[in-house]
Order: sequence, then structure tokens, then C-alpha cells
Amino acid sequence: MPSSLSNLRALCAAIALLFAFAHPAAAQLSFKPTAEAVQEDKLLNALKEGDKITGRISIPDSMASSLIQPAGRDWRDFQRSKLPIIGGVAILGMLVLLAVFLMMRGRIRVDHGFSGTKILRFASFERFTHWLTASCFIVLALSGLNISFGRVLILPLFGAGAFATMSGYAKIAHDYLAFPFMLGLVIMFLIWIKDNIPGKIDWQWIKQGGGILSNGKHPPARRFNAGQKGIFWIVIIGGALMSVSGWFLLFPYLPANVTALQFWTVIHAVIAMLFIAAMLAHIYIGSVGMEGAFDAMGTGEVDLNWAKEHHSLWVAEEQAKGRAPSGSDTRAVPAE
Amino acid sequence: MKSFLAALAFAAIAAFCVSSVLDTIQQASSVAYTTSGARVGDPGNNLIGPN
Repeated sequence: MPSSLSNLRALCAAIALLFAFAHPAAAQLSFKPTAEAVQEDKLLNALKEGDKITGRISIPDSMASSLIQPAGRDWRDFQRSKLPIIGGVAILGMLVLLAVFLMMRGRIRVDHGFSGTKILRFASFERFTHWLTASCFIVLALSGLNISFGRVLILPLFGAGAFATMSGYAKIAHDYLAFPFMLGLVIMFLIWIKDNIPGKIDWQWIKQGGGILSNGKHPPARRFNAGQKGIFWIVIIGGALMSVSGWFLLFPYLPANVTALQFWTVIHAVIAMLFIAAMLAHIYIGSVGMEGAFDAMGTGEVDLNWAKEHHSLWVAEEQAKGRAPSGSDTRAVPAE
Repeated sequence: MKSFLAALAFAAIAAFCVSSVLDTIQQASSVAYTTSGARVGDPGNNLIGPN
């Protein structure tokens, strides 16, 4: 018995020496790692923010030399506790908000009815770019949400085997569809930036709430109103942040260290939740929320009365260029 | 509708092309991190493995 106690003490002392010499920061700890006091938990708690215990490795992967990094526990706690709350509040909150808005305001109708005359709103290449980015985004969003919430929400429904298979394919789709998504973002930025520069007219639109809160009020707007410009910049800035952070996750040897990699995963996850919530609002107003809006990205042509109500200045510009029928052609036709 | 279908097809083709290119220019971790002094074992068939 005394022999085994002695062996245990020797082992504890050896572990203490190992930790003490592994990193200078560990050697400067405030407590004395005596044979009785050395416990992993105590050691971890003594490490300050940014401290690490590293070892010596012989493979060309510098990150593998991190043995203990206390900040990793904060990162893990964030992934498990705070991120689901952020995502839940943002996404479910937006869904509830939209449902309440639909119940109170109803579908936004064309006040003067459909004229039966069409005006080209988006050319085929613009629609192609929109759907390229949108279709990739939907797959990226669903597969990304599966990473955050799949174990809680889908695993109990599908079972372990099916969930693992689905998650495996979802991860592959997430990794590779990110590239056409990034391409779509770049093209979208190039073709629509000129119509999305904020101006004085946008402030008027915002002050009038875009006219969406009451019938018959339609603040003037050019090709894109302030709300659409907001969505454009959310997509561009949010998409850029998602792309940069996603790039670091795709190629995890690019960040300088494990802490930087964890930082980018947090950025990726938080922006994703906010991005998805914003896109839910965009999808709502472009489909269920506003009569006649989907045609813009469906066929590319919208009703002239719809265009006059929501983009009066743009219609005037198109008419001046001879690219739109004149106002005298418009008349309300009964809905079919 | 044509634009939508074209976008879906392009996204799928682009994703496949990217996966092919990355598979070509990247090495599996068991190969990339193996040196003359250290051999990294094949991680096998899982999400982080080569297959």
C-alpha cells in the first residue's frame, strides 16, 4: 500500500512537471502545483484568457501542437447554449413577426387592380443570377441549420442511421454549393450595385414606412426602393462575411491558430442565423406578402399598375426611354 | 422558369466541378501531414476521412 501511494505521488509530480515545462505561461501560474494540488481542473481554471498549453509535434500541422486551450470551452459552450438561442430568437421570431403582420395587414394588393399590360422588370440573366444565389442559399441554410439544430430536431425523427447519412450528404452539398453561391454574390453585386446606392428618395420611403402599413400610400421609388436596397446590402455584406468565414472553415489550415478558427466559426454561425431571418422576410414579401411581386423573378415581367404603385420613378424612366408602355394603356381588368 | 432551371443546373455543375478540382489539388490529411519522420494513419471512412 505505501508503495502504491508513493507511485501515485511520483506520477502526480511527473504530470506537474510536464505541465510546468510545456509552456512558459503554465510555468507562471499563481498556484503551486504540488503533488497534492495538481488537478487538471485547477490547472485549467488557472489558465488565463489566451493561455495555451502546447507540445512539440513532428508533423507539419502547427495547430496540432495545442494540447489544452481553455478558450475552447467557452467556444463549445457558445455552440451548445448561446447559438441555439440566437438562432431560435432570430428565425422563429421572424416567422412569428411575419405571421402576425400577415394576419393584421393581409396581403398587399395592387390598389388599382391589374392592368393587363406588362413591363420587363428583370432580364433573364438577372433572374438566372438571383435563382443561382437563392437556390444555393436555401441548400446552404438548411444544411447549416442541420449542423446547429439537427441533433436536437431531426435525429429523433429520422433515427441515427438516416440522420448520419443525410448529414453526410448535407455537409458535402454545403461545402461545394458554397462556390456557386459566392459566384452568384459577385455577379449580383456587379449588376445591381448601380441601382442600390442609397439616396434622398430612400429616406422619404423609410419615413412613410414604404407604404406597406396602409392601403393607397405608395412612396416614390426608382428601380429598387429602400427596403430592397436594404436586402441587397444585407445579402452583399452578410454574404461576404459568410464567404470569408466559410473559406476559413473549408480550409482550416489558413487561420493562424485554433483561436482564430474558432472566431471564424462563431462569425459564420451568428451571421448565418441573422442572414436566414432576413431572407425569410425577403421571401415573404416577394411571394405571399405582396400580390404581383413574384412575377418580377418568375417571368421577369410585372403588371404596369404594380410597377407604378411600387416603383413610380422607375416606370417613368423606362417610359422616357421607350422601354415601357405609356400610362394611357393601363386599365384595371377583373382578376381571374 | 427557364432562368430558374438554368440556375439549378449551373449550380449543380459548378459544385461538381469545384469538388473535382479540389479533390485533384488537395491531399488527404494522412498524406499531407506525413513526413519522413512521422507517419499519419489513414483516418478511414468517416466525415473527416479521404472518402
